[in-house]
Amino acid sequence: MKTFRTQTPKLRPLHLPPHEVRVLANGLTVHVVKRSSLPLVAVRLVVRAGSAFDAADQRGVADFASRILRRGAGGQSADEISEAVDLVGAALGGYANEENAVISLSTPSKHLDAMLGVMGQVVLAPDFPEQEVELNRRRTLAQLANELDDPGTLADRALTRAVWGQHPYAFESCGGKVDVERLTRAQLQAFHRERLGPKVAHLFVVGDVDVEAVTEVIQRTLGGWRGGPKFAPEVPAWPGLQKPGDVVIVDKPEQTQAQVRIAAAGVKRGHPDHFPLVVMNAVLGGGFTSRLVTEIRVKRGLSYGAGSSFDMLSAGGSFTVSSFTRTESVNTLVDVALAEVEKMRLKGPSAKELATVQRYICGLYPGRLETNEAVAGAIADVVHYGLPPDWIAGYRERISAVSVKQAAEAAHRHLFKGERVLALVGNAEALKPMVSRYGPITVLRPTDLE
Amino acid sequence: MPRPQPRAKAPPFPILPALQPIADSVIEAKLPNGLTVRLLPSHEVPTCSFYTFFRVGSRNERPGITGISHLFEHMMFNGAKKFGPGQFDKVLESNGGTSNAYTSTDLTVYYEDFMAEALETVIDLESDRMRSLQVTPKMLESERQVVMEERRLRVDNEIAGMVDEELSTLVWKAHPYRWPVIGWMKDIENIRREDCLDYFRTYYAPNNATVYVSGDFEPKEALRLLKKYYGAIKPGPSPAKVIDAEPEQKGERRAEVRHPAQAPMLMIAWRGPASTHPDTLTLDVLQYALSVGQSSRLTRSLVFEQELAVGISVDWTWRLDPGAFTVVLELKPGADPLRTEAALYAELEKVAKEGISARELEKAKNNLSAHLLRELATNNGRAHALGTYELMLGHWREGLALASRYEAITTEQVRAAAARYLSAERRSVVTLAPTPGAQA
Repeated sequence: MKTFRTQTPKLRPLHLPPHEVRVLANGLTVHVVKRSSLPLVAVRLVVRAGSAFDAADQRGVADFASRILRRGAGGQSADEISEAVDLVGAALGGYANEENAVISLSTPSKHLDAMLGVMGQVVLAPDFPEQEVELNRRRTLAQLANELDDPGTLADRALTRAVWGQHPYAFESCGGKVDVERLTRAQLQAFHRERLGPKVAHLFVVGDVDVEAVTEVIQRTLGGWRGGPKFAPEVPAWPGLQKPGDVVIVDKPEQTQAQVRIAAAGVKRGHPDHFPLVVMNAVLGGGFTSRLVTEIRVKRGLSYGAGSSFDMLSAGGSFTVSSFTRTESVNTLVDVALAEVEKMRLKGPSAKELATVQRYICGLYPGRLETNEAVAGAIADVVHYGLPPDWIAGYRERISAVSVKQAAEAAHRHLFKGERVLALVGNAEALKPMVSRYGPITVLRPTDLE
Repeated sequence: MPRPQPRAKAPPFPILPALQPIADSVIEAKLPNGLTVRLLPSHEVPTCSFYTFFRVGSRNERPGITGISHLFEHMMFNGAKKFGPGQFDKVLESNGGTSNAYTSTDLTVYYEDFMAEALETVIDLESDRMRSLQVTPKMLESERQVVMEERRLRVDNEIAGMVDEELSTLVWKAHPYRWPVIGWMKDIENIRREDCLDYFRTYYAPNNATVYVSGDFEPKEALRLLKKYYGAIKPGPSPAKVIDAEPEQKGERRAEVRHPAQAPMLMIAWRGPASTHPDTLTLDVLQYALSVGQSSRLTRSLVFEQELAVGISVDWTWRLDPGAFTVVLELKPGADPLRTEAALYAELEKVAKEGISARELEKAKNNLSAHLLRELATNNGRAHALGTYELMLGHWREGLALASRYEAITTEQVRAAAARYLSAERRSVVTLAPTPGAQA
């Protein structure tokens, strides 16, 4: 077979437009990035009020409230707000993830002022009308039920619980059936009053804007926002896997294919080993030539897809291998995946593999900053996780600087030995005798994850 | 096969000022072997996208080899003469690039996103597999297993995939749109190496391909490289014309899929026109007026007011031959699909009788324009969008002028299109009937 030469990466500079930061008198931090190739603007309001801070008897409150902020606010009905947003071809939405409540707006730039006005009303003065609360409750419950038909979603949910135990990250941001059934309008109002506020929020505006003019509009529409917490809350520390070795099967007898997840503890966002881990994981299960894809898909035809990833949050992180295969091949797939992780843990990547993925990651990185939404998201991450200010500008240099030794050491430190959990979705009767050798089995029904 | 003919003169609809720089940047070329080339230089980010569109999809198949277009798309990554098995992605990734591909009923599309310095490598890789793809028995067997696993994922173990497959067999009786792009399982199992080689010779010739390059490159140099690497590839025979033998539909068609599920689901399709028919754009407007945004007709009525659906989506995919205008309704557990169906038809009848309001028309047009702009925000998006316009509408300019073409559409045209296409005689209905298996 022919060999190919890998050149030393020479990185063309990234042309990052200036990023202006202002803090309004009410404490809201405003970030503006002017990019004007197309007449579009992306706006993202990120408030440190995610589902990890939901009280145990109010799980899902952050997401529920964020989703219906726009269903009636500032004296305007849900229909009136929808009309205003839809008429100009804009999109406005809200949701919560583990750490933040996020309200996002995407609009043609000529309508930015009007749309920031709508966004201001929705953030400052949501009405949470009783009928909208009930409507959203019924819709969310139906969606939660319907999601039980999706094997991939079930596998991810089962795994999330198995990994995080009783930590707040263990619970879906939208809450479960029981949570959604019992949330009250008063709790949604309290969430808005007590957990959302300008001092724990950052607003990102990226696109075809005039910095001075947009700052004035923001002052007018969000400058009057008051209340909420003075300081950002912290997510509690995670004690680690509670039952390493556990195997969870979600029983769907009609399946001819099994979803497979293997997970273990990873690292927090901003960990000193971040870059060695990113590079090492790209070799193991990142790109299309990763070891997992090669061994599972290319060499054995066991699956259409296979990969691994580190999920890094502020209070902890996990490492996951994901794939799927026909029921009868589950053992082969799991054994191959475990062997690849172990091989990487013991020996690390080769110099050639490392050089390949470094070029791969660096070459594609500028493409991750092409849209206004992507730039807003990247800057929001830097702010949220307290990353160094040159994180984006110096990303490719930091990736390129990782040595084989550093990547191998990071693999050795952070990849699991025996302490991992397995989650499978498929026909439990067929799967049980096959997977009992990986650890004690718990069988769940899909409805246990509703 | 009907090849869209480029227009002799510029279309009568102007291009929006915001898109004029993109239109001005396009450089057109055609190599002597028939390869169509479009270059879209821009220097915002130091990356490029390289798209290759082949005019072949499941509509070019026949019973017995259904799924060969898609299986073949997989085989294109498994080695050619210069870059052997496994080399395509290895070389590409080590040069700061990534690739993917998709197959539709009408097209097979390959793309690479990569750091600007790798352009020559990408052209080398792509031209190598167009010139000299190797279909070895061993690679074919392995890839066949991967595709069967993909079918298990997307159809056999996914309810929407199952229902959609049933719907196509109902909408089309004779046209190849009848079978799924991924193919029937038995056909995937039995496709022979000779079928693949024959397919390659016919459809993967340069005269059946269009290349779009967008991003940070010098057009002269790019054209020189394209000529150097593609110039010696021989043209192929003209592919056989696809016969549209679809008979007229003479009444509603219905089917039921019984499978373990939490809730019923409805997929309803009406036969529509081909992509180049003027009504296609009117149906784009209708699609948006019905389903895009929380204030759109069907979303407001069926999801928020009557609560007969949890979610609704309308799909109107442009196709070279007459396509289908499809409504998908996600219902609540225990819901009565017949009631939801009746409410949907009542809404559509209203549109067919009374049309939509001027404000609804304006909303739909504004949302379509915003969508067009967002598509053009990345190197990859520009190459993909313009290439799709060229292949489906006849010219990329037609796509950049879409906003003004939509602007000219009237409420009366929307009403007439609803009346003409969304009638009971033209529709096919598939209901998912949950069986007990999935309930706890």
